[in-house]
Order: sequence, then C-alpha cells, then structure tokens
Amino acid sequence: MNDEGRFGQYGGSFIPEILYSSQQQLLKAYREAMADTSFVQLVKSEMQHFSGRPTPLTYCANLTQKIGGAQIYLKREDLNHSGAHKMNNVIGQGLLAKRMGKTRVIAETGAGQHGVASALVAARLGLECVVYMGAHDIERQYPNVFWMKQLGATVVPVSTGAATLKDALDEALRDWSSSYEDTHYLIGTSCGCAPYPEMVAGFQSVIGEEVKEQSMQQFAKHPDRIYACVGGGSNACGIFLPFVDTQTELVGVEAGGRSDAPGEHAMRFNTDQARFGIAQGFATRFLQDDEGQLQPTHSISAGLDYVGVSPILADLEEQGKVRMTSANDIEVIEAFKLLTRHEGIIPALESSHAVAGGLKEAATMSPDEYLVINISGRGDKDIFNIAKALHDEPFTEFLHSYLKEGAAQ
Amino acid sequence: MNKLASFIQKQRQNKPLLMMTHVVYGYPSIEESLDIMQLMLEKGVEILEVQFPFSDPVADGPTITTACHHALKHQPKLAQCLKDIKQLAQRYPQSRVLLMSYLNPLLQSGFESLALQMGDDVIGIIIPDLPIDHHSMLVPLPENGVSPIWLITPDMQQERIKTVIKHAQGMLYCVSRSGVTGQQAPIRDDTKAQDIQSYLDTIKKFTSLPLAVGFGINTASDISSLKGHADVAIVGSALLNAFNKGGLDAVAEKLQELQP
Repeated sequence: MNDEGRFGQYGGSFIPEILYSSQQQLLKAYREAMADTSFVQLVKSEMQHFSGRPTPLTYCANLTQKIGGAQIYLKREDLNHSGAHKMNNVIGQGLLAKRMGKTRVIAETGAGQHGVASALVAARLGLECVVYMGAHDIERQYPNVFWMKQLGATVVPVSTGAATLKDALDEALRDWSSSYEDTHYLIGTSCGCAPYPEMVAGFQSVIGEEVKEQSMQQFAKHPDRIYACVGGGSNACGIFLPFVDTQTELVGVEAGGRSDAPGEHAMRFNTDQARFGIAQGFATRFLQDDEGQLQPTHSISAGLDYVGVSPILADLEEQGKVRMTSANDIEVIEAFKLLTRHEGIIPALESSHAVAGGLKEAATMSPDEYLVINISGRGDKDIFNIAKALHDEPFTEFLHSYLKEGAAQ
Repeated sequence: MNKLASFIQKQRQNKPLLMMTHVVYGYPSIEESLDIMQLMLEKGVEILEVQFPFSDPVADGPTITTACHHALKHQPKLAQCLKDIKQLAQRYPQSRVLLMSYLNPLLQSGFESLALQMGDDVIGIIIPDLPIDHHSMLVPLPENGVSPIWLITPDMQQERIKTVIKHAQGMLYCVSRSGVTGQQAPIRDDTKAQDIQSYLDTIKKFTSLPLAVGFGINTASDISSLKGHADVAIVGSALLNAFNKGGLDAVAEKLQELQP
C-alpha cells in the first residue's frame, strides 16, 4: 500500500495508470527541489521581486470600533501581483516545471484567478500555457479570459458536465494523460493526487509564516483566531498550516450560497449532502448523491464553487483542529460593503466570505482578543457580479453604451 | 481456474481474436442501452463491457464522457444496472459480461455487497481510477469469484508490470497508448503497429494471462494487426460513434466490419 500523500483517511493517489510515471517523476522532483536550498531561495526571491511579498497585516481601526469586539486585522493577499494568493503557488510550481525541463504547463481554473496567475508565470518563465475553463465560468468571468489571452495563454472552454471547475479539472487530467512527457499539470488548489495537496499548501504556507512574524511585531502575540474562505482550500491551508497545534483557533468559511438545498451552495462540511468519496485523483469530502455522482454547486463567487475540498482540511476538520462555518450570498455582499466603506479595501467575493465569518464572531469576542481575516484576493475582478448584486443601474447603462459604441465603429 | 481466463482460452482454441465491446448503461436511455447490449450479444460478441456512468470520468475521451453525462440525466442506479446486465448474461450464456465504472459509484455499496450483487453472472470488473497500489481494497471481489481486471500501459516499468501481474486475474487490459479513450487509432502506420506488437510480446514474457487491448481501436486493420499478439480486441468509442451516427443498424454494420 502506498501511503504517500495520505492525510488521515483523505488524500492519496487515485489516478489512471497512464499518469503513474509522471506522478512519480513529479514527487521525486518536488522532494529534491525542496531539499535544495538554492531552489527554495529562488522561490522566495521570485515571491518578493515578482509578486511583492511580504504582504502587509493591516489593522482595521474603524471596523474594530464599529463592531466593538475583537481587534480586527487583515492579511493582505490581495496585494500580490495578479491580485490574489494564487501567485504564491504558481511561482513555486512554475519554477519546479522549469527545473524538471518541462516546456508546457496546463492549468484548470474556476474564477480565472489561477488561470491568470499561471499565464503570468508562464510568460515570465517562457513556458507554453494552456488553461482549461468551464464554458459556464468563461461566460461569468470573461475579463480574466481576456487577460489570459493577452498573456499568450490558450484558453480551452470545457462544455462537458456542468461546464464549471470540476469539469475543467477532469479535462486538464485528460490532457496530462497524453502530454506528460513535456507538460507539467499546474494544479491551482491543494487538491488532486499526491504531491499536489502538500505541494500547493506548502508554497502557500508563506502566508501563515508571515502572519506569525507580523502578529508578534504588531501586537506581541499570535492571533486568537484566523478566518479564511474555503473553496478548494489553498488560501486556508496557506494561512492555517503554520498555526496547527498552537493556541490559535482556525476557522474556515465555506460558500453558503442561496440556500441549503442541493445544488444551491458549495458546503462540504456540516451537511449530509457531502461525505467521504474518491474522485479526481484523491479522497476527500465530496458533495454527492446516493449513487456517488458528484453534485452541482453554487456560490456567488466562482472561486469557492468546488465540489470537493483539500484533503488536508478534511482531515484537520475531522481531528477538530479546524472549525468550519459558512456565509451565504447575502451575508457576503453585506460583508463586502462593510469592508469597502469602512476600511477602503475592496475584497474579492471569495474573501468576503471570510470577512462575513470573521465579523459575525468578532462581536462576541473581547477587545483583548485578536483576529486575522485572510483577504485572499482583491475584488476588482468581481466588478460585473457585484454591480449586478447591488442592482447598480448606471453600470448596465454603461455596458449598453459601450456595446453601442463598439457596434458603431 | 479463473472463470474469465478459462473462457477466453477455450474460445481462442478456434478463434484468432475475440471481441470485447463497450456500452454505457443509460445512454441514450436505459432501455436503448440494453437494446445495444442485446444486439451485440446477439451478434456473438464474446465479452461485453458495461460502463456504469460517473459524473467525472477522467480516463474517458469526449465520446464516452458525453454519453456518461447524458446517461446521468436518467438517474441510473447501480443495483438496477447489475440486475439488468445479469439477466442479459443469463440469456446469452455463450458470452461473458463485465462491469466497468469509476471508484466513487462503486464505493457507495462497498465491495463486499458489490461482489454479492455481481454474483456468478458479472464475472469481472474494470476500475480505471484505481491504481494497483490499492489492490487490497478489492479483496472481497475475487473471494466471490469476480476478477478485478488491471491495466497495463505502454511506458510502464518492468517492476510495476510484475506487481500488476502478481495480483492480476482473468485477463490484463493493455492500454495501447497514452491519453484517454476514443482518440485516433494508434495502429495506423506500420511502425506503430510494430510498437504495439512488441509491447504486447514483452508483456507475454511475464505472464500467461490473456491479453486484451483497448483505446483507439476502430478499424478492421487495427484489429487484424492484433492477431497473433493479443487475445481480445476492445472496441468502445468506435461503436458509440457508430450508434450516434446511425443507431442500432450502424452498430450492427460496424460490428460486421470489425469482425476478426
């Protein structure tokens, strides 16, 4: 029995045999690279010079006063190059692909953030880049598709199944099955077969490591609680893992969506619609029906709209080391408005879930307690969806006149 | 002696190559998929592989993936699927029926219960997302007479081939090339045909188990190049494409064309 990549009963490798050799090659290359101090140094240097790390830990004086509970801080992953934490992982895996002599990377993307980040790194490292994206997501997130194309990446629409993230992941795996000789599959979240969950969480852990240092400097202790949104789970793993088995309580916030009904949310915890399963290369909690078919999901934020979850988080939750909660679409928009108006920070809708979860609980905490909310990305990309949710009519008028102008030319 | 292996060996005494055909249960509807299966058995196909659909079939190409997603709209149930195909197996005792599916739908009842449900009629199972490293998960199957059928791939290391063979029963499913099901045939030009032949001949050095070859087989010449090197030719997407073009008649025609 191969126990590589197991996290309790979760994780492991359940991939078609054709991918076995390339997975073994990746495992070996990853272990060797991480044991090589010059590689680790190169990753760190790129994170600094290309992405702008370290990102700040920002105190929210206005919100802290308004809510009147815990001291509220934000970890500013939105200030990474590309506007999201996704950058940390693609820098690491991009450099690894290069080190392995691969000339092409493929990626799956939901909201498009990981696709854009992959395209940025591929352009910088001179790698060919192909991004698989659900046809339905392309409709929702065209601006990101536009940027990927400008960066030289090929975006392949996936119209099978629900035409969202899980189908894009299936399609990327199919590509890898025939292209592994020259291609690295650059998975964007801490899911998939070994070593992906560990590797992605590892490259993302820079977030939590920085919070450790910054919290000591700014308030002379570690945070009492940390909040992060949980889709696939990469930003949550990144900020949580350095704090596992410490005094800090770790709280994941899932997408509560429109309601608790099947297909209306993306919660993999605290619901009997999700349970242990094995699919897409690994074991975790999946939203599935009685026959074991993976179920459709919904979230106001495309980036949390995933049917499974990191096996690392599934295991930590089972051990009681991470607590999972959720925020619904309405709470998310309220949290978005609060942060925007009172702190001058525009969070991504994904990150707004963490804000909603954090602010809800901050009120019940005391002023000598400190909480940190991970702002995994900035909200600029969500301009269309937020304008729609806020019923901003001038925005619709703007789009009409933009189209009219285009037609006139 | 293993039921599947002895069946193949017996059939091979007077046939150069057997045919194994594939049908997705529930596509285009449950009834019609049973009609396709019946037609194939009627036409004398030796082995029928029935795929119980899964929402995320990562080893399948576009033809079969689309059929699976379509089939799921009819909400197929694994227990009913097994009942239906057992009946077929009993009606056509001169052929053998195998089940193919991905791990997650099979996990729901657990392998003990699955083995009992498969009974004496569905004698083998193919699970493309279960690597040999997890063979112990399937222990209840052989205990109940069901053979887990393992895959061999072209770039597999010798050590791993030996591991697979150690646990293999019934037959080996030799994947003809990299990639997923249904992409273009690999056997078209002579060099590639020779590559596949030498790949199969290499595996034969390690085992006396029957060899079945699949992935991308869709012409009579693909089939004839396997004679003398393999025991079973597996045809999946080609027949499904035929069905999509011309229904049952086209399937019958394609079967005729491919007859070894």
